[in-house]
Amino acid sequence: MSPTRREMLEAGWKVGSGLLVAAAGWTTFEALKPLANVSGGGLLPLLAPEAYPEGSATFVREGRFFVTRAKGELFAVSQKCPHLGCAVPFCEGSGRFECPCHGSVYNLAGEWISGPAPRGMDKHPLQIAEGRVIVNTAVLEQGAPLGSRQFDTDARGGSCAPAAEG
Amino acid sequence: MPETLDPSAPRSWRARLQDSAVYRSIVRTPPLDSPRGRAQRAFGNVFLHLYPVRVPRALLRFRSTYRLGFISAVLYAILFITGVYLMFFYTPAVSMAYGDMQQLRSQVGFGQLIRNVHRWGAHLMVLAVVFHLVRVFVHGAYKAPRQFNWVIGVGLLLVTLAYSFTGYLLPWDQLAYWAVTVGSDLVQYAPGVGGWLRNFLLGGSTIGQSALLRFYVIHVAVLTMAFFLLMAVHLWRVRKDGLAVGDADHAHDVTERALDVARRAATTTVGVGVAPIVPADAHWLNDGRRVLGVVDTEEGPGHVRNPDDEVFAWPHLLIRHQVVALVVCAVVLGMGILWEAPLRELANPNLTPEPAKAPWYFVGLQELLAHFDPLVAGVLAPAMLVLGLVVLPYADRNPSRRAEHRRVGLTLFWILFGALAVLTVIGALFRGPGWAFVLPWEHLYFEP
Repeated sequence: MSPTRREMLEAGWKVGSGLLVAAAGWTTFEALKPLANVSGGGLLPLLAPEAYPEGSATFVREGRFFVTRAKGELFAVSQKCPHLGCAVPFCEGSGRFECPCHGSVYNLAGEWISGPAPRGMDKHPLQIAEGRVIVNTAVLEQGAPLGSRQFDTDARGGSCAPAAEG
Repeated sequence: MPETLDPSAPRSWRARLQDSAVYRSIVRTPPLDSPRGRAQRAFGNVFLHLYPVRVPRALLRFRSTYRLGFISAVLYAILFITGVYLMFFYTPAVSMAYGDMQQLRSQVGFGQLIRNVHRWGAHLMVLAVVFHLVRVFVHGAYKAPRQFNWVIGVGLLLVTLAYSFTGYLLPWDQLAYWAVTVGSDLVQYAPGVGGWLRNFLLGGSTIGQSALLRFYVIHVAVLTMAFFLLMAVHLWRVRKDGLAVGDADHAHDVTERALDVARRAATTTVGVGVAPIVPADAHWLNDGRRVLGVVDTEEGPGHVRNPDDEVFAWPHLLIRHQVVALVVCAVVLGMGILWEAPLRELANPNLTPEPAKAPWYFVGLQELLAHFDPLVAGVLAPAMLVLGLVVLPYADRNPSRRAEHRRVGLTLFWILFGALAVLTVIGALFRGPGWAFVLPWEHLYFEP
């Protein structure tokens, strides 16, 4: 049986209201979703590889990452702690990254040693071209999973933070 | 209004004013010498309309509610007004915000005081809303027919926390930046949508210009709309469901108990958002006997008024509310004069201050995060807490509001509340750099 005029009208205002809500939701979502280029980034040319000696961590302000060298290899380690986003400073005393917020500790390669972080520190891809270190800040690779350390070096000395639990 | 019997006697300017057509078009003042006149005075006035004309006498006792809901509302009014002041001097731009705060401090008359009052008022409001929730739970005032209003109240608690959290970022100092960094990164651990949700909230992957603007708009506009909508329903339901204080004292007299039985038998569906449906013949007991002398009131299902034990809201309740409002204003103003709202150095994304703590009401979560997996501590625990609060009035099938009948519920509640309080106190007062345990009397790392 074909719907009556009354049934059409009754369904009509419900469908119409539903469409209005859907349109409002879609508009809100499209308008408020983060702009694609907000994170930005690109190829960032730095110094020659020799400028980064073994065991050092050099902070690069433009990209908020450290260039480090551990066991001969160079890394571009993002400063942002994978736990809750604090800026992790490099502790010259221990030769490790020590997060001030919840005490996560990472080695020079950003690999997790202790603390509540869910993985190692995130890294940018790093290459050497024309005698310079070039870091791609547009790409952020997730840090190594817990417990998989290849570039461990012994702690040089005392930790910067007072004894942190967990 | 002074009445004179002799029509030829000279009348005061006030009486003549009150007799004028213009005055009577604005204020309609029935004579106050009869209950009817007093009632008309109340419901003929749009502002007094928020109150019932008459309220249970028990409500006049301070300890009946501790006035916590009202105190929350007064604090909101203070925050609204000081917030509007602050908006005149604040630009939600990364390059401007911190400078505006300094200018507010040094150059705007009473600028620092207004900011202090806004800051301390915000902290007090979180406390007042939480204590309001505790009071309503302990008195069992969330039970039928008021379950849904409890849910609305949980919504208002979340709005209050969101207000406080979004406002925290706006000064754009180190305290703001890192507290919000830690707080918003918690969202990342929500399974599946976490990272996307966090970026949606911040308008990017890091806290920058778009995050500041978003937080500002949410703080001043979005939450305000949500708040007024929820408050309208909240107050409306208080009026329609009746004041729990009114039926607490005689909930166990014979009529009430008989009605309870009838109601439970007649209650057909209880679902989220639906008050128990009581059919028109609810006064018939199961065995066919009829409860005499009880009529349906306009207060909605389940609430029985006792007109012999009521007083006029105006002036009895209003004068008490006025006193409470004055005391709240005095306390907030006193705090604003005594203590400065903190303003640290300009936000520096490269340098995390030690320790970086979330705002105090989230510091319990941060403490939990130091011990458990972030998914458990940062997402599941708070989600379960909110869900538990929402479901509570529907899950609790015990109709009694007396403490001696609710030992299990009250014990569980106090254990949970105590655990939250302990976590918050440890996180706020006993944690230092690297989240190491520090005794507060040796060094206090607490930023309000």
